[in-house]
Amino acid sequence: MTGINDLFLQEMEKLSLDPASVQLTWQDDILILSGCLKCWQQVVDVGHMAAKLPGVKKLVNHLTSEDAPKKEKRDISTYYDKDEIDRADVVIIGAGVTGCGIARQLSKYNLDILVLEKEEDISCGTTKCNNGMIHSGYDSKHGSLKAQMNVKGNAMYSQWAEELHFAFHRTGSFVLAFDEKEREVLRYYLENGTKNGVPGIAILSGDEARKIEPNISDDAVEALWTPSAGYVEPYEVALALMENAIDNGVRLRLDCEILDIQKEEKKAVTLITSQGKIHCQYLINAAGLYSDEIAAMLDDEFFTIHPRRGTLVIYDKENKGKIHTFSGQAPGAYSKGGGPQETPEGTLLFGPSAKEVPEKDNLAVDQDDLDFVINKGMYLVKNIDRNTLITFFGGNRAATYHEDFIIQCSEKVENVIHAAGIQSPGLASSPAIAERVEQLFLTLKPDVTKKEDYNPIRREKKPFRFCTMEERDALIKENPLYGRIICRCETVPEGEIVDAIHGKVPARNIDAVKRRTRAGMGRCQGGFCQAKVLEILARELGMEETEVTLKGKGSNILKERTRQVEEDE
Amino acid sequence: MNKRQVDIAVIGGGPAGLAAALKAKQEGFEKVVLIERDKELGGILNQCIHDGFGLIRFGKQLSGCEYAQRYVSMVKESGVEIYTDTMVLEITKDKEVYSVNQQEGAVCWQAGAIILAMGCRERTRPQVGILGTRPSGVLTAGAVQKYINIQGFLPGKKAVILGSGDIGLIMARRMTLEHMEVEGVYEVMPNPGGLRRNLEQCLNDYHIPLHLSTTVVRVHGKKSLEGVTVAKVDENRKPIPETERYIPCDLLVLSVGLIPENELSKQAGILLSPVTKGPVVDQNMMTSVDGIFAAGNVSAVFDLVDYVSKTGEAAALGAAAYLRASEKEKGKPVPVEAGENIAFTLPETVEPKDGKVTFYMRVKKSMEHPEISLTCDGKTIKTQKLLVAHPPEMISMTVDWKEEYTGKLVMEGREV
Repeated sequence: MTGINDLFLQEMEKLSLDPASVQLTWQDDILILSGCLKCWQQVVDVGHMAAKLPGVKKLVNHLTSEDAPKKEKRDISTYYDKDEIDRADVVIIGAGVTGCGIARQLSKYNLDILVLEKEEDISCGTTKCNNGMIHSGYDSKHGSLKAQMNVKGNAMYSQWAEELHFAFHRTGSFVLAFDEKEREVLRYYLENGTKNGVPGIAILSGDEARKIEPNISDDAVEALWTPSAGYVEPYEVALALMENAIDNGVRLRLDCEILDIQKEEKKAVTLITSQGKIHCQYLINAAGLYSDEIAAMLDDEFFTIHPRRGTLVIYDKENKGKIHTFSGQAPGAYSKGGGPQETPEGTLLFGPSAKEVPEKDNLAVDQDDLDFVINKGMYLVKNIDRNTLITFFGGNRAATYHEDFIIQCSEKVENVIHAAGIQSPGLASSPAIAERVEQLFLTLKPDVTKKEDYNPIRREKKPFRFCTMEERDALIKENPLYGRIICRCETVPEGEIVDAIHGKVPARNIDAVKRRTRAGMGRCQGGFCQAKVLEILARELGMEETEVTLKGKGSNILKERTRQVEEDE
Repeated sequence: MNKRQVDIAVIGGGPAGLAAALKAKQEGFEKVVLIERDKELGGILNQCIHDGFGLIRFGKQLSGCEYAQRYVSMVKESGVEIYTDTMVLEITKDKEVYSVNQQEGAVCWQAGAIILAMGCRERTRPQVGILGTRPSGVLTAGAVQKYINIQGFLPGKKAVILGSGDIGLIMARRMTLEHMEVEGVYEVMPNPGGLRRNLEQCLNDYHIPLHLSTTVVRVHGKKSLEGVTVAKVDENRKPIPETERYIPCDLLVLSVGLIPENELSKQAGILLSPVTKGPVVDQNMMTSVDGIFAAGNVSAVFDLVDYVSKTGEAAALGAAAYLRASEKEKGKPVPVEAGENIAFTLPETVEPKDGKVTFYMRVKKSMEHPEISLTCDGKTIKTQKLLVAHPPEMISMTVDWKEEYTGKLVMEGREV
């Protein structure tokens, strides 16, 4: 271990940091960093450096920084006194695309499965705010779990899309090179991608690439082409998975936060949640950004999640058809390869950027990120009007310091599987991740039997906006609520909003309705329809208008009735 | 799907559409339909419970609702066929209008002429580039107005307003009257964006400060709004970091501009002006597509509803003439150039024929005692002297048009 300490000191010097500011401790084979540094980027740099030291397979980074907001300790003592409210054979923590995928994968077995999600809707973490890219797998380092899951998951997407009826466009993707240095990077990716087994991977000349995608910058001299890449609407994938899982008997509890986990004889037994106690036989950790905290609750902390924020920019649908194929640039150090692409809905998307941030739930957009994303996109492709921007937002990736996925049975807790560190290309990998978790689960419980009536098909109505006038006429005759258009930018009728509110995964706030129906996602950004959606939510859920929220608890839109005081008097 | 023939289809039942439908009916057409997406006619006027409407049209200060009701009553009596809660989803070059509603499903209206009167929409937070998180409590002024005046709810207790356009000013007063605290109005430009009377009556009378050359740069709060950061801007409208100031508040009201609503116009391939963002029209308010007319804020954003009604009437008269005329003698429209100090004119083109043509225009900068003049090949056609001209205030000028005005037409504004 002294060897590591010396190496660490050398590396600290290279980073121009005071070695005394960081303490190293070993707990079995886990290296734990603690101390306080000046800024957050240093915390992340030291974490990355330590993870690369020889022999460091597991790294926990408890370093803090002076510029990071202090974490407040929550008093959760009262939750231990709550009654047991539920029990299940398998509890899955987290309803992002990873958790939803695992739930659906395991729903083919005779198991009582319960998914717990701390937010008021599914896909509220990393899943809702990424670029929807189904990566081909050229960039993940050969030999990593990421590379393996990515290439496999990508190939599985066609079947998922077919069975679950979500939009999936396999358009291929380009990585553009503008100079000799970037051409070299393409050669590296060609080799790496070939080793990873990326189908059809090739290097094209700039002109060949422009034949496929005419709006690629004229300055691009070469392009890495991977025809297997595609894109989806990520929250639609999660919803499709969860709806199908529910059809196959999976249960979902929203607004249910895990506060602690009680163990008995090396097994996780009781979850202390914000709703009450929940008993489980098996536990799957798919908690995304919070997966390290779940591991810590299990006394099984062997990795740390450091949120890496991406900023994304959306341009109006009037750009539809300008960019068919993702056209990015060679990624930098850690997932900063974003570029322009068209979403399945035909809006144009730029980004994401990448910035290390201390807070998992802070999705603020900064000027430098916004400028980076817009300028880079405008550099890579041509003929896009900057003024057609309709919105921008941030999302946090759940990265570990080894920058690889962790999909394994816990070494310390017998009935737990971790699916953690699922960052880019987690969405693309999710079918393979679900399958791998299934295989791991079968090692824990080999005697589980398959359901006879498992149905992998999810039926989905064709959205009103894609219907012909004749089809719309028929829909309205069947249900007059389809004859009242609530969102005019995206042509969303009241019927679809009511369906979403009473769906299998019920939409209980304005943003949840938006993700399902697109109401409020268009160019007016809800200016016209938000008040109407709010009214419909209040009516359908039997609550006061003042209780309706934008995005769950604490985000109420209306504070009180007008002239409340006079009325009361 | 139901198919129906009509003479004139008016899309939108706000002030422009109401005036257009009424005038079209008065012109003697049998089948005039007025299609409105909301449950009531009147458009945004219904949520404008403040006064200041109708001085030109009715010679009287009315509230927006009263102004609308006068037209609604006249339209209802006139025999115009009214379809409320009915949304037009598509129009075509061949003047087919596709609508849906609950009672009849989808309907295809084959119209002789179409008048577009869809109004405008508000610019949004991302369009003005405000950084930070996306909590609840950030709303456009129109949305706040609807929540308070129509639905009867307050969306906050302490508000910051960005933008000194008229709706922002009106809402500053309205929220104050509802016992909300209005911390201030912030305007990125060095000059106020709203009418002078609104600055007096809505801000000064209530001691609400207006901060010019200052903008909101950042929004704070993960779930609901906790505060905003404001900063002064330099001459390039870039925020100056040293001037940043944090203001705790639970509501940010955005009054940052209006954009004509032209989704339907684009479907029909109508040519739009990059300046007004509305269709390029001639004096009959006819767009680049024969038989499709534009009225009110769909053509350019107006400050006074009275003008909006007038353009509705002009469009109806244009549609009437279009339907009566045979294909012959329609002259090629001549463009009117927005010259010195003129941001735009409406109409942007004039069909050469004798008659009265009313121009609406905005100036680029404030001027004392300006002279607005229209020239044809350098020769003055008409000059109009004003006491003062401000960019937020539209100017109207009526010209006796002659068929021979086919040269280079330029509108200019100069201080004399």
